[in-house]
Amino acid sequence: MSLQKNKIKMALAKGRVANKTIGRLKEIGYVFPDYSKESRKLIFTDTTDTLEFFLVKSPDVGTYVEKGAADIGIVGRDVLLEHPADVYELLNLKIGQCRMCVAGFKDTQIQYNRKLTVGTKYPHIAKNYFTQIDQPVDLITINGSVELGPILGLCDCIVDIVESGNTLRENGLVVLRSILDISSRLIVNHVSLKTKREQIDPIVEKFKELAF
Amino acid sequence: MLTTYTIEGFENIQYQGFQALSQIEHNLTNLYTGYGYHQVAIPTFETYDSFIGNDAISANELFKFISRKGRVLALKPDATLSVARMAAINHHDPNEIIKLFYQTNIYRHFSSPGDVRKEITQMGVEFFGDNSPECDGEVISLAIQSLKANGVDDVQIDLGHVGFINCLLDELTISKTDRAELFELIENKNIGDIQEFLSSRHYDPKISDIILELPMLYGDPTDVFARMTKLCINQKMQDVVKNLSALFEHLRSVGLDQYVTFDLGFTSSMNYYTDLIFKVYAGNWGAPIIDGGRYNKLSQQFGIDRPACGFAVNLLSLMDYLEEHDLIHVESPKHIVLLYRESEKKGVFDIASRLRAQGCMTEVFVINSLPTAMIERLQVQRLYQDADFYVFERDGVFKWEASSLNPVTAIESVAVASESE
Repeated sequence: MSLQKNKIKMALAKGRVANKTIGRLKEIGYVFPDYSKESRKLIFTDTTDTLEFFLVKSPDVGTYVEKGAADIGIVGRDVLLEHPADVYELLNLKIGQCRMCVAGFKDTQIQYNRKLTVGTKYPHIAKNYFTQIDQPVDLITINGSVELGPILGLCDCIVDIVESGNTLRENGLVVLRSILDISSRLIVNHVSLKTKREQIDPIVEKFKELAF
Repeated sequence: MLTTYTIEGFENIQYQGFQALSQIEHNLTNLYTGYGYHQVAIPTFETYDSFIGNDAISANELFKFISRKGRVLALKPDATLSVARMAAINHHDPNEIIKLFYQTNIYRHFSSPGDVRKEITQMGVEFFGDNSPECDGEVISLAIQSLKANGVDDVQIDLGHVGFINCLLDELTISKTDRAELFELIENKNIGDIQEFLSSRHYDPKISDIILELPMLYGDPTDVFARMTKLCINQKMQDVVKNLSALFEHLRSVGLDQYVTFDLGFTSSMNYYTDLIFKVYAGNWGAPIIDGGRYNKLSQQFGIDRPACGFAVNLLSLMDYLEEHDLIHVESPKHIVLLYRESEKKGVFDIASRLRAQGCMTEVFVINSLPTAMIERLQVQRLYQDADFYVFERDGVFKWEASSLNPVTAIESVAVASESE
């Protein structure tokens, strides 16, 4: 739970977010020479010796930062909404932008007052959304290849993130409703922001370049 | 086994931890008593209505029970309300100065997923009947000293004021749910979502701009004051700045300003706070150890209009911090085990009493098998690892040393001598 004083530790979500983020970090002056996708190292330090990062599964980023094992973290808004963490969501980094959507066959109707079966990796977000629009639903949690759901008749529609829409198109599905915009967020531990200001402020300032 | 006999969120405090905990309690009791605070004990249950009536806490977070008479009770989720009630019952003059402190457990189903502890051991102080910056100053000083008295040097206190944001939002027509949502976004410094929230509502753009500034209104006091002053759009907001700077002046003159930073983006987890709120951090520990603030309206619920200010220390969290930083130095008393033959009973019991009077932890066991076997069996047990063993036979007294029994002559002096080793 306690943090070491010198370097700022950053938790990065493995996969989509990390791939995009590490490239963009170079633009603002953070170069990680030892990092490559094949590397077996767990922690990478940048050339200015002020920032180090480690890769974790996306839902764990919030946990690491909330508990103070990492000072800051970069993770998609979808993950934060699905797995809420008690952290400061300081910046919207505009990396990995996409949308959370309801998708299904073109002729699928979201009908008022008829129960809809929804397959999703994001049960929390889906439930909130359908509660907001007063649509009764049965939620089925699926862990991958969500598009299969409507095709095999498991569910009427899906809630998932849509980036280019290619996967949907190739499977004959379309976006029915857009729920919210997703992008990566810079999150900061509550205490680190206050007690490590001298180290964190400059990093946040640099990240602002990615935000606007 | 564990899954059957433990309830998630409730912890056993083992004997090692308990000593540390009572050490902390002892230090805090001395500190608070030294400042004229009187200790009180508060009941485990409160009526459900007293928490729900004033929106102090979400109904989902309460542990609820029905009494035999049909009243709905709650395991108390917070101590301040109970202490305010006690003060109201026992002291009827609203201007009376009442300083109380307590040590108690509170119970909550925390909504935050990370928080697993549902039973929190707290020690706290409440100062009733004074609304001055000096009163705030005393409470803040006690909060800082609560950590210092336990050996924590790296203390930081973050001050906020719920009045600033409330007086700003008073300028708007805003629904209760929107207000709660906005508060949460500001509390999380979630600037991206605040922007989105504001763009979907039609508030005065001038006020929207100020709302966007609030989350960033933290850091060095002088700097924050300068920025706050620029953001004031009504008299009440200016009063908040005045109020806070008076407090900061006071803290500066008593030499506590070095510990203080500001954060006006604090909304309040407990809705009864009306003015100042603060959190105290130890080193880089991931969560605040002390929470507190001023609640000038809470006593009205009990029929007395009485300002008050106080805080609570999360004792287990403080204990974890101290443990991790090796700041717990508990002196255990010397542990002596006397094994005796039936014939030696009377003498051994006398010696044991004398050793206890000298402050030694002394236990006696009758010899019912081979003494060496008995000692070896005890020695591997966790609670006996640091004990000295003596055997009282008809033909003399033996001390267990280097895995054998060696005769010793004077029992009492042996015990005393080994104590001074």
